[in-house]
Amino acid sequence: MKAVQKLHSRRLWLAVAGAVGTGLLAPTIALADPVHTPVTDEMLLNASRESSNWLMAGRDYAGTRYSPLAKINTRNVKRLVPAYSFSFGVQDAQNTTPIVVDGVMYVTSSHAKIFAIDAATGKQLWAFSHPLPENIGKLMCCDVGNRGAAVYGDKVYFATPDSHVIALDRATGAKVWDVVVGDYTKAQTMTVAPLVVKGKVVVGMSGAEYPTRLWIDALDSETGAQVWRRYTIPGPGEPGFDTWGDTDPEIWKYGGGSTWITGSYDPQLDTLYWSTGNPNPDWDGAGRKGDNLYTNSTLALNPDNGEIKFHYQYTPWDVWDFDGVNETILANINGRKVWLHGDRNGFLYNIDRTDGSFVWAKEISKVNWATGFTPEGRPIIDESKVPTYEHKAMNVCPASEGGKWWNPMSYHPVAKTVVVPSREICVDILAGKSDRVEGKYNLGIAEADWIKGHGQLVAFDATTGEKTWTVQAPSPFTSGVLTTGGGLVFAGTPEGEFKAFDIKTGEELWSFQTGSGIVGSPIAYTVDGTQYVAIPSGWGGWTGWATWGGKGGSPHLKDNRKGGTLFVFKLFDVK
Amino acid sequence: MKRLLSLALVLGITTAYAEELTNPLTPEPEHIAAGKKLYNSTGCIACHGNNARGAVGPDLTDDEWLRKPTDQMIFNTIRNGRSGTAMSGFAGDITDEQIWQIITWIKDENRKRKEPKK
Ligand code: HEC
Repeated sequence: MKAVQKLHSRRLWLAVAGAVGTGLLAPTIALADPVHTPVTDEMLLNASRESSNWLMAGRDYAGTRYSPLAKINTRNVKRLVPAYSFSFGVQDAQNTTPIVVDGVMYVTSSHAKIFAIDAATGKQLWAFSHPLPENIGKLMCCDVGNRGAAVYGDKVYFATPDSHVIALDRATGAKVWDVVVGDYTKAQTMTVAPLVVKGKVVVGMSGAEYPTRLWIDALDSETGAQVWRRYTIPGPGEPGFDTWGDTDPEIWKYGGGSTWITGSYDPQLDTLYWSTGNPNPDWDGAGRKGDNLYTNSTLALNPDNGEIKFHYQYTPWDVWDFDGVNETILANINGRKVWLHGDRNGFLYNIDRTDGSFVWAKEISKVNWATGFTPEGRPIIDESKVPTYEHKAMNVCPASEGGKWWNPMSYHPVAKTVVVPSREICVDILAGKSDRVEGKYNLGIAEADWIKGHGQLVAFDATTGEKTWTVQAPSPFTSGVLTTGGGLVFAGTPEGEFKAFDIKTGEELWSFQTGSGIVGSPIAYTVDGTQYVAIPSGWGGWTGWATWGGKGGSPHLKDNRKGGTLFVFKLFDVK
Repeated sequence: MKRLLSLALVLGITTAYAEELTNPLTPEPEHIAAGKKLYNSTGCIACHGNNARGAVGPDLTDDEWLRKPTDQMIFNTIRNGRSGTAMSGFAGDITDEQIWQIITWIKDENRKRKEPKK
């Protein structure tokens, strides 16, 4: 409660300052210009208790995407109406999670734009646009999107498709620094929402559909200077180098291992958890026989120097593009410090975060590429589901988007419930040999036919791993998930519906049509005591799964309408 | 006179440039097959889907187009891309001849879709 009061007093408005100034000066100060109090380490460490704010993409260092706010709840959610909408003025994938600090929202859009807006009214405070190289689209497998910003001190940080990391002044939108961390012409591109840990801006890379070697970078928040870089694929002499087979001595330079989903941080263990994506070529494992470390893993890193403390690998020798890059949510379950991770390979994992040991894995959707796990947590593979040049693996479940795709799940720490956006779609795959040319796709695929399926939102009891409810839908749930202290679950669909469910039962309580498919993530916050819920809408991303192959996984989504808009809701006030 | 002549010359050149680009290839099976192969190998398939039936990029085989589907428009779009969208230019990746092969295949897919179902 105390934290809440402190926050309200922090939201001082310049109008007040203007009123005490001279009569001459006052009119020149824009009314209600917010005061931008610096975001401190203490605020980030206590982000879960900053109930009015949403300070980082995953909301807190544990990445829960749980807001304790309860003013909007299961009893009154039917009264939720739009407070405002805000057009990004651009099409394509709106994959972002907005950030809110003391009544100001920082929201990124596709095509390298970021906006600061008054979070209560939708009034634009400033906009910043980074001009992109004309041909960036073909160097990004999955659209010219962005997953969100980060805030620290007086700055807001975001990454661009052509691998710039940019720091702006939160108050004015003026550029403070701009560093280039990768070579976009080699498909080293960026869509990640940065995470600020101990004064460092940590970012990850996209691009593993192309032959390249990717990494995690930590940058000095004041200057942008690199503090450390952790390549996800070991070089010669490093542990794990020998897990790439012996047929291709160059493979480590091109093996992929992207890092485009924001990690989590445990301040007690002083450990940064960051997940890694698929090896390249995606579906052709012939030239990389071995576990392919550290792809499809979560790395436990020392945040001061990027050293790997330990890791857990979800899919050794991935030949299905399962891409273990998804988020880790830190939770304390049955007295054990663990992380929860919903993987594209179809399993929800519970892993001990003190040492990476396997606790359990449960099926989110139908899984048949693995038949179970060894006691150490290594999946047991069904060889008939392994595609090769000669063998077309039929009806592999799930297809490469999961299970759970990249869209973040949420953990409600009071209800001990994990809610996973999911799908039931399988695929037939024949591997193929493709050429390894930097900046060109290298998928290793000869044929892929997605089999028509459906979507689902799945809730798990985190203490047992049992499913508590499942909501079925015609299309996959493609948004991130928000859970709240009001007993609500918010999620969105490709059809553009933004929905609220009861976390106890999965009963649908409210729905709003946002006009385009939802691939962004919802948040909750308050301004001056009023609770708001925000959702970015705007279809895009890699949507081949919907239509590719004979019919595709969700053929009705062909030509799904685009258009980027943020919608913000509050309770209808009868006045 | 001289001035008039050079004016005519300039005009002549201008009209030559203004002339619509058209596909120099005839729809021979080998161009169609080469076009389909290029469509897949250049990565068009990643955005426009299997057989160009549409995914995050539009369907290229139906009658709905963002711009009038002249040969010139399609050629320029593939060659130079569309600024501000995910559609990149492919001038450095494939030759003009290869672009025309892709267009030959796309047009053939359009034609095939319009054929009455047997
Ligand atoms: C990264 C994704 C992407 C790739 C790769 C891509 N396109 Fe596109 N393409 C698009 C998008 C998006 C549009 C729509 C642009 C707009 O809104 O004007 C488009 C538009 C087009 C159009 C114009 C359609 C119309 O209705 O006016 C043509 C023709 C086209 N693409 C052909 C191709 C070909 C051929 C290739 C491969 C050489 C290709 N595209 C590769 C995304 C892509």
